[in-house]
Amino acid sequence: MIPAAQIDLRDASSFPSRRVEAWKYSDLRQVLREAPHPSPSAAIPITGGGPFEALGGEAMVFVNGRPVGVSTLMASGTQTVRLRLISKAEGTGHTVSARISARAGARLLILETHEGEGSAYVAHNRLELDVAHDAEVTRIVLADEAADVVSISQARVRVAPGGRYRQTIVTTGAKLQRLETEVTHLAQGADVRLDGLYLLSDARHADLTSVVDHAAANGTTSQLTKGVVRDTARGVFQGKIVVERGADGTDARMGHHALILGERAEVDAKPELIIYADDVQCAHGNTVGNLDQNALFYMQQRGIPADEARALLTEAFLVEVVDRIEPEGAREVVREWLTARL
Amino acid sequence: MAAVKETIEAVAALEKYEHGFTSDIDTEYAPKGLSADIVRFISEKKGEPEWMLEWRLAAYERWLAMEEPTWAAVKYEPVDYQDLFYYAAPKQKEGPKSLDEVDPELLAVYEKLGIPLKEQAVLAGVEGAPRYAVDAVFDSVSVVTTFKAELAKVGVIFMPISEALREHPELVRKYLGSVVPVSDNYFAALNSAVFSDGSFVYIPPGVRCPMELSTYFRINASNTGQFERTLIIADKGSYVSYLEGCTAPMRDENQLHAAVVEIVALDDAEVKYSTVQNWYPGDPATGKGGIYNFVTKRADCRGDRSKVSWTQVETGSAITWKYPSCILKGEESSGEFYSIAITNGRQQADTGTKMIHLGKNSRSRIIAKAVSAGKSDSTYRGLVSVHPKATGVRNFTQCDSLLIGKECGSHTVPYIEARNGSAQLEHEATTTRLSDDQLFYAQQRGLSQEEAVALLVNGFVRDVLQELPMEFAVEAQKLVAISLEGSVG
Repeated sequence: MIPAAQIDLRDASSFPSRRVEAWKYSDLRQVLREAPHPSPSAAIPITGGGPFEALGGEAMVFVNGRPVGVSTLMASGTQTVRLRLISKAEGTGHTVSARISARAGARLLILETHEGEGSAYVAHNRLELDVAHDAEVTRIVLADEAADVVSISQARVRVAPGGRYRQTIVTTGAKLQRLETEVTHLAQGADVRLDGLYLLSDARHADLTSVVDHAAANGTTSQLTKGVVRDTARGVFQGKIVVERGADGTDARMGHHALILGERAEVDAKPELIIYADDVQCAHGNTVGNLDQNALFYMQQRGIPADEARALLTEAFLVEVVDRIEPEGAREVVREWLTARL
Repeated sequence: MAAVKETIEAVAALEKYEHGFTSDIDTEYAPKGLSADIVRFISEKKGEPEWMLEWRLAAYERWLAMEEPTWAAVKYEPVDYQDLFYYAAPKQKEGPKSLDEVDPELLAVYEKLGIPLKEQAVLAGVEGAPRYAVDAVFDSVSVVTTFKAELAKVGVIFMPISEALREHPELVRKYLGSVVPVSDNYFAALNSAVFSDGSFVYIPPGVRCPMELSTYFRINASNTGQFERTLIIADKGSYVSYLEGCTAPMRDENQLHAAVVEIVALDDAEVKYSTVQNWYPGDPATGKGGIYNFVTKRADCRGDRSKVSWTQVETGSAITWKYPSCILKGEESSGEFYSIAITNGRQQADTGTKMIHLGKNSRSRIIAKAVSAGKSDSTYRGLVSVHPKATGVRNFTQCDSLLIGKECGSHTVPYIEARNGSAQLEHEATTTRLSDDQLFYAQQRGLSQEEAVALLVNGFVRDVLQELPMEFAVEAQKLVAISLEGSVG
């Protein structure tokens, strides 16, 4: 319904600027005036198994855009895939093109990690995901990249009747980082959860953009995004829920809540509801604010130092998103990952 | 069965637009089309000073270089700007001193409009008539301004802007275009070039305007774009409540209305601006013939502790494109926006507000209620932005949409831009249909379906209705019911 920007890293004219409405808060053209040189494609040794190593499963690895092994995967039964997108480049650019399908009735867990080991590179990740009839796919994304990196991730998800899709994105941002999810043509009774969490400091930027298109009846979407920005960081949330004509019985909830903990930090939000059916329940809530001064005062009164009190309150604020992650193993990895960065 | 028959008759009667009549008053037209010469013609007709003509011509030049915006969620046949009349003035002797001099047909029009504000009595010179000041804008030239003397006693200036240009050029020159610059947007530029008349209000320091000021807009001449220009200046510590109500006759060709309203509030001043807009929405089945309402309304809260409150009830027009906004420059200034947008038939409305927080501890509150029925589309589009230097900003936004029927649409597109850590911004939006249970309950108690819908919708929009001045609230409540007739069953 809404065509995503077709970005081609080899062609600078395909980079959207803020004049393009969907990129209003993430001006790619401004940070990337020219097409980057292609990243080196020579075999690069891979170290470790990524943050989710302990959870096992099959690894699907891309280094500088090149697949080490397969680039498409067909899942059936109960399966775990560690999708590792590794960038080991200096000032160059690369594109990942991956495709994953879950067969009917499959239970697939995708543990996606964006592992940045270089600097000033440009990464463009494209993921196509098909969730077949009665399949359930859970995608958890941990994006850990350097402060001088430009990174664009675009996931396109199709959910068949009775399919379930769960997603949680956790990121610390980059120079310009866009994590885009487009869930299109949700069929009858499809069930989607899209969560997000951003924790940004210094001059980092993260943009969580999503479009959920309900094309058939009785679909459910639940969205919760929380973020904390410090220093001069900039967090962006753009969520769009479309309910097409005839998609009656849709239940869509969207929430975005952000804390601004730096004098010059910025949060931009655009939660959109586009509705063409009348028998629906749709709502969104959006708040931007600071830590509760009363709570801080209370904790200090009880002998907790101000910094610690702030960290505790911030963690408590963010952890709501982590708590929604299933299964438990992945939840604990994300929780530790987050605590280490707080 | 009698009740059913009554309803059928009532609905049949409603299918004709209540204010769909045309009166024949001699109208003096400028030739069709728009050019620098037309701009000169308008300026000359109004006997404007040289600087004003230059201002208009500059706006015209800007307009030529601009493109019509397409981002709003509305679809309409493109307007042929060369196929419109830009000036039509009812033939009038200059400055009617008494009602006898006013064209009796004009008075008849007021009567047909059913002006509820008892201005009829005022216009008829009845002793002890209630105190409302009316600046009636008939087509493009203000015809009668009453209560001038009483207002003058406290120093309030309330007159057609064309007159203000002659009598208070320094005030007009200082403030005109200072809130909505000529090149602000396509329609504002067009308005700046060709506006024919409008209202001018100045409230001197410390004065609480003794009465509510009201303007009745009315588009009458066929094919005449109406380009109103309103300028309200509330000086330090003053207060004014301004009412704007609109009706228009039935017509087959689309009519363009591109008004500009500018409000300036200085230190401690308060302005309350209320609108009830009920222009012809077009044929319910085809959408043909309705008014295009492309309005730029903006308030500049320049002074510390100044306050501007917009309240609007939008039930008319085929296309509405309107975002009454507040620039909250002053410290502790506050802006409010209360809106009811009801669309039925083929109407399309894209409306909302902008709250731009520049001053410390500025506050804003947005309550927007949208009701869509029939094949209509309604969009709330709004912006809340907080400047890095504006500490302690508070905003609360609530947008609720109600859908009646399978073929309408309702959309919410809010933008929130926070650049300061001390800001507290809250936004919530809901979209639901009219509850079957509630409808059933009301009908069980003996209300007809339409009465039940009217009752429930009136409950839904109550928060906003309460913000309207008394006489408007009554009228608006009726409007809500009328606009939704025929939307269910």
